[in-house]
Parts: sequence; structure tokens; C-alpha cells
Amino acid sequence: MSRDTSSWASEAAAVFVKEWRCEFRTRYALNTLALFAFTTLVVVSFSLGPMGVARAQGTAVLPVLLWIILLFSVAAGLPRAFVQEEETHTATALRLAATPSALFCGKLLYGLTLVLALEVFVTPAYLIMTSLEVTSPWLLAGVLAAGGYGLAAGSTLVAAIIAQARSKGALFSVLSFPVLLPLLVLTVELTRGAAAGDAAGVSLPVLLLYDASVTVAGLMLFPVVWNP
Amino acid sequence: MRRRNCGYSPGVTATLRFDDVRRRFGRLAVLNGVSGRVEPGGMLLVTGRNGSGKSTLLRCLSGLLAPDAGTIAYRENGADLDVAERRRRVGVVAPDLAFYEELTVQENLEFFARLRRTGPERGHAVLERLGLPLDRLAGALSSGMRQRLRWAWALLHSPRLLLLDEPFQNFDRAGEDGARALLAEHLQNGGLAVVASPLPLDFDHVSGHLELGV
Repeated sequence: MSRDTSSWASEAAAVFVKEWRCEFRTRYALNTLALFAFTTLVVVSFSLGPMGVARAQGTAVLPVLLWIILLFSVAAGLPRAFVQEEETHTATALRLAATPSALFCGKLLYGLTLVLALEVFVTPAYLIMTSLEVTSPWLLAGVLAAGGYGLAAGSTLVAAIIAQARSKGALFSVLSFPVLLPLLVLTVELTRGAAAGDAAGVSLPVLLLYDASVTVAGLMLFPVVWNP
Repeated sequence: MRRRNCGYSPGVTATLRFDDVRRRFGRLAVLNGVSGRVEPGGMLLVTGRNGSGKSTLLRCLSGLLAPDAGTIAYRENGADLDVAERRRRVGVVAPDLAFYEELTVQENLEFFARLRRTGPERGHAVLERLGLPLDRLAGALSSGMRQRLRWAWALLHSPRLLLLDEPFQNFDRAGEDGARALLAEHLQNGGLAVVASPLPLDFDHVSGHLELGV
């Protein structure tokens, strides 16, 4: 590994560590994500739990609700990644000191770990509370990993774009729609497949391609969005 | 007591030149063709009433704001640096510069030192001279202490060009004396500085003066 690459990775790691250190001291995103996930999880399990929906219907409906819970939990916490930098005026120091691509990757890595942690807690609880049976657990694990990455990457990119805007909340929803819609269509379809025992087909490679595309787009767009 | 040397890159010569820099915010023209140059060891003092464009000029020079027109050329060792490189090389002290309130002074400096790809030692040395404890949370600092942290942050990566917007504001006498000594050392070692102040500064090293808004 060249010295430049090593320094770049060290920068990205520094951003990642800083994000988690600040998060552990304020617990803003953790509390928001946990509260939203818990509330929606309880509501869904009460309404569509073991007695609420037939097995055939459950395989069709419950994967959709799982990804809606994950999407809205992420949307409630992740946009803060860049918005808070602008609101607390730390963005100026970051602009002067950080390599934009390393900053983006550090924030993305933080978002990814947050989403994966959310999935680790929410998914088993959801499966138990709704009695959703999963025939292909490895496919579900793959979908959660790839889908979680896509959620984190898409949200980080949109969060960077909206950070300097005035109506951040509305803009996040508007911009997230075209970015995250293909991801959600794919993840829901694959989660249904994992529940029913279907093969992944081309959907999983398409999901991986989506992840790669959002990452490349983020790395290319972020320096332009971040700096004047 | 022997003073620790803070904030120099020995052997690197730098020059800054800007010509006809213009910047508008909507209909309001803040900078109307501002020009100037700073040579090694020189300090350009920018004065003017509030709203005359001093901070805007410094933001343009640092690369934080793109001018609508005009050129800004910053050279180190004879090579022109592009705006991205200029942004990362300059040292900036400005009132709107903030740090992570959840982190201590030391954690802030270590974080930015890693981003600057250097060690935090220079920042520690500056803070030792200015008298700011490393273990205090940035959110618990008084305004004068925040200004000390801004100075340490600006000198962390040994910049050749310092852009200082009201650099002595909120300081007590000891803080101002310490910051003035740091600036004098920076200039004596061939560094450059552009200092914005609403009032004329009593400083020996001023090599040029730019009055805005006249």
C-alpha cells in the first residue's frame, strides 16, 4: 500500500472514529434510530403478528414492512451526519483539513456500521414477533448486508447534498426517493425470496451493482457538493 | 524557559497574489475588484468597517468561497497550488471556526492532525504557550479559550500562509501577547499572513495595507 493510500485510509479512519466518539457521547442517532425502530416494530407486530396475517400473505407483506422500518429508522438518524457539521459550524474546519473522498468514506463507514447494528437488533426481533419464517437465511443475511450498505451509501450522499440547504427535511425526502427506490424494490423482492426459499436470480447481482454505482457516484459528486 | 518553536515549514517559500477579486451575494456586491500581494515574511493588513468584505476576502483567499471574478495565485516553492491544495495548506483563524464540543481539546487536535497528516505536537506546543488545558471539553471553553484553540488548530500543520480574521478578539492580555509573538515568529521565519481587522492593528510587521469599503 502506497504512503498516499495509507494516509488517505488513516484520514477516513479518523473521521469514522470521531463520528462514533461523538455519537457515544451524545447518543443522538443511536437514540433516534432505536426509538423509531422499537416503536414501529411493536406496532407492526401487534397488527400483523402471528395471528394478524396468514402465512402466504405474511411472506408477501412482512418483508415490505421490515424494509420500511429500516428505511425510516435510517432516515430519522443518518442525515445528521453532515447537517450537524453545518449547524455547529464544524464544517469549515473539516473543509479546510479533510480530503473530501476520505471524509465521505469515513462518514459512509459510520453510517454503514450504524445501519448494520440496527439490522442486527431489528431483524431477529421482527422475525420472532411476526413469526416470519425464513427458508434461506444466508440469502437474507446477504440482502441485509448489501441492502444496508446501499441504504448507508445513498443516505450519506443525500445527506451531504442537503446539508447546506434551508429545508433539509423536505429535501432529504425528495432526493432520497429516486436514489433509494430501486434499492428498496430489490431488497424487498430478495427478502421475499429468502422467506419463500426462491433463488436470488439476477436481483442480488443487480443490488451489488447498485451499491457500487452509488459508491462511485458519491465519490465523484461529494467533492463538488462539499466544496464551493 | 526555552520557547518551543511553533508553526513553521523551514525551507518552503511562498507568495500570494490576488487580482481584481469580485464577489457578490445576490444583488449585494461585497468585493469590487480587490487586488494585493504578499511576499515571504510579509503581512497584509485588511481593514474596513463591518460588512466591507474583509471576511469574504479571507474566505476567497482560503478557498472556502469561490470568487465571481478575478484570480488568486498561491505559490509554494515556485509551484502554483490549485484551490483544493490551497484550502488544505493555509492556516485559518476566524470567528466562525468551531470545533467538536463533545471532544476534548486534545481529541480535537489529534483528529485534525490525522486529517492534516501530521502529528498533534505543534498544536500542543502552541496551546502550552497560550496556556490552554488539553483535557477540557471544547464545549466547556470560554470565548477566549476557543480563540486559543483556533490558533493551535491553524498552526497544526505548519502553514506558510496564515489567514487571520480578527485574530486577537476575545483574548485577555496574556493571550494576545502570546498570539502576537506566534505571528511575529511566523513572519520572521518567512511565513506570510493576511490579517483582517475592523480597526488598524498596532503591529510592527505590516508590509501592506488594504482598506475595503472606501
